[in-house]
Amino acid sequence: MARSSVTTHPLSRRQLLKGGAALGIGSAAALGLRPAWANPWGQTNVYSKGVEEGPEVSLAIRRESILIDGKEARPISINGTSPGPMIRLKEGQNAVLKVTNLLDEPTSIHWHGLILPPEMDGVPGVSFPGIAPGETFTYRFPVHQNGTYWYHSHSGLQEQLGHAGPLIIDAAEREPFRYDRENVLLLTDWTYEDPMSVFRNLKTAEGYYNFQERTIADYFADVREKGFAATAEMRGMWAKMRMSSRDIADVTGSTYTYLLNGQSPEENWTALFKAGERVRLRVINGSAMSYFDVRIPGLKMTVVAADGQPVQPVPVDEFRIGVAETYDVLVTPEDDTAYTIFAEAMDRSGYARATLAPREGMAAEIPERRQIADRGMEAMGAHGMGGMDHSGMGGSDMQGMDHSNMQGMDHSDMNGSDMEGMDHANMRGMSGEQNRMNANGMLAAGAAQPGSRYNQAGIGIDSDARRVLVYRDLKAFTPWPDRREPQRELELHLTGNMERYMWSFDGKKFSEVTGPIHFEKDERLRLILINDTMMEHPVHLHGMWMELENGQGELIPRKHTLNVKPGERVSALITADAEGSWAFHCHLLYHMDAGMFRVVKVS
Amino acid sequence: MHKSLLAMALSLATASALAAGEHGGSHSATPEAEVDRTIQIEAGDMWFDREELSITAGETVRFEVANTGNLQHEFVIGDAEAQEEHREMMQAMGNSHGDGHDGHGGHDMAEGAHGSQMPSITLAPGETTELIWTAPADVDTLVYACNIPGHYESGMFGEINLGG
Repeated sequence: MARSSVTTHPLSRRQLLKGGAALGIGSAAALGLRPAWANPWGQTNVYSKGVEEGPEVSLAIRRESILIDGKEARPISINGTSPGPMIRLKEGQNAVLKVTNLLDEPTSIHWHGLILPPEMDGVPGVSFPGIAPGETFTYRFPVHQNGTYWYHSHSGLQEQLGHAGPLIIDAAEREPFRYDRENVLLLTDWTYEDPMSVFRNLKTAEGYYNFQERTIADYFADVREKGFAATAEMRGMWAKMRMSSRDIADVTGSTYTYLLNGQSPEENWTALFKAGERVRLRVINGSAMSYFDVRIPGLKMTVVAADGQPVQPVPVDEFRIGVAETYDVLVTPEDDTAYTIFAEAMDRSGYARATLAPREGMAAEIPERRQIADRGMEAMGAHGMGGMDHSGMGGSDMQGMDHSNMQGMDHSDMNGSDMEGMDHANMRGMSGEQNRMNANGMLAAGAAQPGSRYNQAGIGIDSDARRVLVYRDLKAFTPWPDRREPQRELELHLTGNMERYMWSFDGKKFSEVTGPIHFEKDERLRLILINDTMMEHPVHLHGMWMELENGQGELIPRKHTLNVKPGERVSALITADAEGSWAFHCHLLYHMDAGMFRVVKVS
Repeated sequence: MHKSLLAMALSLATASALAAGEHGGSHSATPEAEVDRTIQIEAGDMWFDREELSITAGETVRFEVANTGNLQHEFVIGDAEAQEEHREMMQAMGNSHGDGHDGHGGHDMAEGAHGSQMPSITLAPGETTELIWTAPADVDTLVYACNIPGHYESGMFGEINLGG
């Protein structure tokens, strides 16, 4: 690829590109006969499930029979498609979104990532009562932002039934990059099972969907490699934590069909381009439970936005997208050939796939799926070793570690001086920041917390094999407006018991807490999330941005959803300027339903 | 890692020395009197305001490049191949894992693998700098680009048509 692009003459490429732009909206229609819509800057956008153009949009929610992957299915549809159509708004508009519930149960739509009045946020029991069967609710809000977002039901487990879609907001001013064509790529995980029975299975039988657990053969292999004592110790630890080291995801490809724009890998949704065009891909992870690793073999992707917010461009080969996150990437396919868009489930139990091609009906090779990874030592950070950076310890390599220090270590009040004697080799970037405390004795704004692993993509990713996006890469163009130091810190532990399928914050399920988390109106606070579990959790705050303190100082990026890796400690700055009650939860659907949910009240 | 850090430090030192010595002047030995015309270019985040230039072979041009963006940019003239090599080198330098990838080393090291030095200037945000350059006679097209990782890919490049 690199070689062939060298031989492509820049002039001819540019001419081609102009030809493409001149064709405009007509070209997309002629190429693919798909709903397309031109944005104010002249690019066409293609998404396969229809487009509803704002500011006034009507959406009808139904349960109906639709074929998914060629098989009979009963998803929830929005205006007749599942997942739903792309809603296209423009920055500065006053959106009027009328949602009519034609289900026989209440429903709702939450506009994920949008800053809007609390009563328009769409969370039943928090923002409004929900939309009763037969009723229409009209959402009205001013659109003050632009970028790639999505919408989904916030009622029960409806999201699992395809009640979701892309929400794209065109910028009022030109964005800090140029492109010729754009495509929306919405990733979802579909199951033909009733979501309620998926939930029951998770509650009654841990590892129900996990066929990748370690076997007796693995056990003997471990003994051979590590010796009996280390193996017994390792197994003992996993048993104590009520987990298997192969619990990468709790709902897997054994029940899920991974979809891209509603189409299965076999159906192969195709995004069209002309060689030499710069193509913007708006990637949205709208799945209920699945993280994906996205790459396009043969193409470098340049990440230009995260969670709808522009970031300084980062050329990568692959990126991991947590549930509910969005990333915008630019690619420039120089050759008149097909490329596979490959979104491998983090647990390697399956993949979603599409093709980027100059013509319909083309396909490129599908990469081999990687081996399932073992949860290694990094995951055990949650159990006595939080605050340490285990990046140097790959996989299940436990040799040379002193486990005696792991017992009963309380890391909740760990500070700089407690960290002596630990391996600082991978904590570069922290050493300087450790001294930068603010007047309140807290870490300076924007500094990375000890125990964060922003320079790692996470489990099962080999960053030596290819350049993978990490949180540390995300850097805003300009500082966000509120530059105040945090006035206080709020620490929340992400907690769970896999065996009983209980998920919570600070050990308390939503049903067990007495009141909301209080933010003082207009205060500047630091939210610290400490993951005491051995799974990734995508934590989403409604109504306000979270500025991820990834060590980029003034240029920390802002996000609506933060991925917190097992054992990791992650922090974000929040300006509590949005009066009202807001949902705050893990965006893994069944975790949220199991109790990993809180209400934040700003007053 | 240490090696690349050292290289970066050296290149930065070189860059600032050059900048100090040549500010207000030009980056070439061509005397002022021989400049045929001046072309003003605005460099923003992530674009040049002009995407195409026509210059006659043998013509001597003074480029006045103004960085109106929030980030550092460069303005490098060369053929597509040399530009790509320069880009790959800059990415490799900024990519050593474990350092958080925030470096984009190698400023002003617009050197192709053939050892050919490409005319280039690096601009801090808000800075305007000149580059005087004489168009060669033996090529049809060249590219001007900012090769800081991700900038070219975001569209920060243009073409010089020397076809006459």
